[in-house]
Amino acid sequence: MSYLLDVKDIVAGYGAVTILRGVSIHLDKKESIGLFGPNGHGKTTLLHAISGLIKPRQGHVYFNEVDLSSVKPYKIVKMGLVHSPQGNTLFSAMGVGEILELSAFTKRAKENKTRNFEKVYTLFPRLAERKKQLAKTLSGGERQMLSIAAALMCSPEVLMLDEPTLGLSPLLKEEVCNAIAGIKATGIPLLIVEQDVGFLLSLVDRLYLIEQGEVVREMDKSNKLAHREIMDIYFGKVE
Amino acid sequence: MEIVVITIVSGLVLGALYALMASGLSLIWTALGVFNYSHGPLMAFGAVVTWTVIEKLGFSLLPAAVIGIVAAALIGAIVERFLVRSFYGNRDLLLLSCMTTLTSMIIIEKGIQIIWGSRLKLLPRIIGGEINVFGAVISAHEGLIIIISPLILLFLWRFMASTQTGRSMRAVGQNQEMAHLIGINVPKTYLLVFAISTGLAGLSGVLLGGIRFVLPTMGAEPLLKAMTVIIFGGLGSLGATTGAAFILGMLEAILVQFVGMYWTPSILFLLLIVVLIFRPTGLFGSK
Repeated sequence: MSYLLDVKDIVAGYGAVTILRGVSIHLDKKESIGLFGPNGHGKTTLLHAISGLIKPRQGHVYFNEVDLSSVKPYKIVKMGLVHSPQGNTLFSAMGVGEILELSAFTKRAKENKTRNFEKVYTLFPRLAERKKQLAKTLSGGERQMLSIAAALMCSPEVLMLDEPTLGLSPLLKEEVCNAIAGIKATGIPLLIVEQDVGFLLSLVDRLYLIEQGEVVREMDKSNKLAHREIMDIYFGKVE
Repeated sequence: MEIVVITIVSGLVLGALYALMASGLSLIWTALGVFNYSHGPLMAFGAVVTWTVIEKLGFSLLPAAVIGIVAAALIGAIVERFLVRSFYGNRDLLLLSCMTTLTSMIIIEKGIQIIWGSRLKLLPRIIGGEINVFGAVISAHEGLIIIISPLILLFLWRFMASTQTGRSMRAVGQNQEMAHLIGINVPKTYLLVFAISTGLAGLSGVLLGGIRFVLPTMGAEPLLKAMTVIIFGGLGSLGATTGAAFILGMLEAILVQFVGMYWTPSILFLLLIVVLIFRPTGLFGSK
């Protein structure tokens, strides 16, 4: 039995710096997983290695049993593995509608464009109101929504989200969290990096704790003990 | 009265040519943050190839011009692939690519000289004859340049604004990582930017070849002007570049008419410096 996404013993980093020291995670069909852990311990690097932005020094990433080691990032998107990056990294001088239109770039995404537009504007009504607005004039929360929406326009088979609620006000955060739950409900498996463990627990099936570039714990949410363990890690032991 | 009309018309011709050259340069600048020095000699290359196809193969101007433009675009693509691509991601990209495209400028210029010799060549004009514009007599060819150039720029602008390929060419300049992540083949897009840009250089060469002699160095002065134009206009936008090209062309025509050929370039550069002191981002630059 093979996984939808299978990451095996990835060693990767930038320049001379090694950040990931042999990370293995997997995503089964029809499940969603979450990654959490302290900042600067390799979660974002792991997503970069999966989406081909950096090439791992060792180890392999398999998507639908295809080895992605020598596959270019744009081809990985074509295969349906889509990564929505951290922060508000968008095309600042383009309009909201134009960015979404451009994001339906691959052949597959073009075929589903009308349906994806509908989906995106239903999930994020704010974006529908701001079609003509330039990305650089959006608020932080709206940019975050646009970034997720752009990833959806790519017609993902698996969607990777890197800290989608980072720096958002509680109200906006709830809006984004609801939209992400909405995406999951449409049947797209998610791989989410997130600091808010409460949100992760409500959304995903399994969790990985990443520290010092390694998976230090894998937790099944249905397991009560594991659930307790996560709470202890994050909020301290309650005796 | 006549002298005013003559000056305006000659300013329009210059502006139209500078706009074509500068829009190509500006395309590369916005997408990659690179100044391509081979833009100048590729003007000459487009012109000499067109000349050869007409003289040796007996083609008429239009198909020959297409071949000349494609040939310039091809060399442009080669420059990107072998002299610029290896430096993407390097933080000294601007400096490194300046050195390599300067090298390509010299190679192309000398190459043309060796292959085609220094015999003076003139390309046929698209249409012969002269036209009378409110008392100023110019060649019909020059009249056509004034019309063709804005049309091509309009076409280019529509292409950049409303096709997926055009959008992707702007996207790679604004955010390379994001471009990768929505499925754009970034290196291929850069190659395309270079090819379209240098194709425009080839076209400028073909148009200029009907008014001035086709020489290996025919692009050197226009290249310098085109660089002035994009800095003057404010780096980045096609509209700003076009506006600045016509302003500069007009200024040059006025200066040549009333100050003389000799001092015109110096005065133009002094003006550029004055503009940059008061508006460091150029005439139409935003921030």
